[in-house]
Amino acid sequence: MCEMADLLTFGALLERHEKEIFAYALRLVGDRDDADDVYQETFLAAFRAWPPPRRGQERAWLYRIATNKVIDRARRRKHLVRMSDLRLAAPERDGVSLADLAAAIKVLPEGQRAAFVLRKVEGLAYAEVAQALECSEDAARQRVAEAMKKVREAMR
Amino acid sequence: MNVQLADAREHLLARARREGLETVGYRVVDSPLGPLWIAVGPKGVLAIHYGGEPSAAELARIVRTYGPGLLPDARRVDPVARELDQYFGGTRRRFDIAVDLTPLTEFQRRILSATARVAFGEVSTYAKVATQAGSERASRAAGQALGANPIPIVVPCHRILASDGTLGGYAGGLDAKRRLLGLERREVPAGGWPKRS
Repeated sequence: MCEMADLLTFGALLERHEKEIFAYALRLVGDRDDADDVYQETFLAAFRAWPPPRRGQERAWLYRIATNKVIDRARRRKHLVRMSDLRLAAPERDGVSLADLAAAIKVLPEGQRAAFVLRKVEGLAYAEVAQALECSEDAARQRVAEAMKKVREAMR
Repeated sequence: MNVQLADAREHLLARARREGLETVGYRVVDSPLGPLWIAVGPKGVLAIHYGGEPSAAELARIVRTYGPGLLPDARRVDPVARELDQYFGGTRRRFDIAVDLTPLTEFQRRILSATARVAFGEVSTYAKVATQAGSERASRAAGQALGANPIPIVVPCHRILASDGTLGGYAGGLDAKRRLLGLERREVPAGGWPKRS
């Protein structure tokens, strides 16, 4: 009998995380067709690289792949080269200041925007944000804190 | 699932199929006996599991044989779902879809192959199936092999009864076995058939 961890299949990974990865891609690239591509490329890359590097941390692994795919696409298109330049759709939450919030997030510097979206919009734990952005947990916390401060200031 | 995500998944599956990343497609289909989890591999249908998801043992058996490339793929399962619909609707008496018994032991394969030769509307016994499989003293083992039949309905283990004529066992439950026999024979008493004299 296999261990339960050995029973993780492509389908299980897909069914557990596809919705949030698609939403994440959509928020970062702001276009449905591009989000569709990022979603496909993310899961295909995961399947090709199987097995996931750390058991129980597949979610952060997928976010890291998706983030890298978005950056790769931006570089290929040349007009967008850094994380801070990525377009960002408004978070899908109700509120009178969604547009303001989106505008405030859009001008965040490199690293802070992705950290903010992963933590505050996608709801990842700091450990997962750190893995997705390939930085320490402390650095992830700091980026989110700085981003929060700037967003609050922008929305006053 | 919203339309955008459903489209994205279709595109993903098409690419995964083209790249050979998807080894097995699965889907849950509704049936008169409740949901059935169906998996189709490169050689044919691998599993029909009573319920909405496979058991850990079932999944382990498939992953051992075909790796982790199981993906939710309705298109791949559609031919099986269609034949099952026809069977439950009374318009099909024999399944034409290929079955894949690769992940099973040689003994299990022989027992299930003998079972597959029992025609629609007919019944046999564990002892007879064991004999036809070349193991005439292995009726108990035959019962166990049939209890672990990964492809019920299509490999018709519901047509195999105890030697005394009673229903014996069934992985999907005896009520499911009665209903399948009732569908085929239209004469099954509630407790199975009486003992033979």
